[in-house]
Amino acid sequence: MTDTTPRTLDCGKTIEELSDYLSADRIPYNPSIETCPECLNALEALSGVSQLSRDLLAQDAANLPAPPANWMEQLMATIHDEVRAGRSVPLHHPDPRVILTVTEGALRALIRSVGDDVPGTIIGKCQFDGDVETPGAPIDITVTASIAWKYPIPDAARELRDAVREALTTHTHLNVMSINVTVEDLHGYNSTTQEMP
Amino acid sequence: MTSPRRQGLEAAPDEILVERASQGDAAAFEALIRRHSPLMRAYVSRIVGSLSEADDVVQESLYTAWRRLPELRDPKAVKAWLMQIASRQAFKHLRRRPPEDPLPLLEAAHPSDTQPENVAIRNAQLQALAGALDTLPPDLRQAWLLREVAELSYDDIAKQLNIPRTTVRGKLSRARASIFAQMEEWR
Repeated sequence: MTDTTPRTLDCGKTIEELSDYLSADRIPYNPSIETCPECLNALEALSGVSQLSRDLLAQDAANLPAPPANWMEQLMATIHDEVRAGRSVPLHHPDPRVILTVTEGALRALIRSVGDDVPGTIIGKCQFDGDVETPGAPIDITVTASIAWKYPIPDAARELRDAVREALTTHTHLNVMSINVTVEDLHGYNSTTQEMP
Repeated sequence: MTSPRRQGLEAAPDEILVERASQGDAAAFEALIRRHSPLMRAYVSRIVGSLSEADDVVQESLYTAWRRLPELRDPKAVKAWLMQIASRQAFKHLRRRPPEDPLPLLEAAHPSDTQPENVAIRNAQLQALAGALDTLPPDLRQAWLLREVAELSYDDIAKQLNIPRTTVRGKLSRARASIFAQMEEWR
């Protein structure tokens, strides 16, 4: 059924030939194809098959029955078990015999939770630049964020910076020099109110 | 739905979710799964031909993705990256399966009826395409899905199917021409 005689257009080109031309991204330029209305029509219809394939898969995705109930649970159980701790950040303790540290991973989680509580912001990554393992070393912090549609970016960024600084001052002894906020995205455009009250 | 924070993550752009997840935030990864796993399941089940096997393959793919997330250089491209991992896992799965097993036809997902006429036509068109895909020889169908749905480059397809690049091009041309011929009536 698939490899029957190739269909030939009235201009003499076969569908196979045109499909091959498309597969080569129409390079090198073939004037006998590119100036023939019949070929151009066929090329357009042939490329339509690609878009339709993507549509089909999107339709499949929307209509497939849900995965088994424990599918997501199994996944998340495995994922939660993996820890990304990063470096150890020392904390002061009055007794010199006691060594107290907090992991970068824990500090990132802290920053995420503080940042997410600032209305209209979602934190991406946070990075500590500097020698966090040496007490008192100057540290610069960079946080990426997405700001919700309609929230003024400068205000949100300032609130975020303040919240992060306060949290780090409260919970760590890091010598924080600067906190840079990079707004990478805006989210929530066109959707109805989804903000926290 | 659930907590306000969770709702916030659902609205977050891919890029942000990837950054969080690669720094260990499982909730962000869960949001990515909810967003992209439906297409991964649809895609893998068209390659392996069974939804229950696809569920295993996609689960395996997502474990791999979680572990390798810090290596993803362009967080905006996470969808294509996930599809690539799913492809690799799907082909690994096929290679493990005994070769005499014929590729089963996928039980198609049926859209609900009672829809406006143009939607019905559209669905019929998609059904016709599904039929055309099912009658393609497996190697052509796989090459086609890798290119058009997973959006892999010719070189990546060649690597994944272990065939020369020129053969990839030939397979894609034949797949397209064949689908086109079978769908003639829909134009």
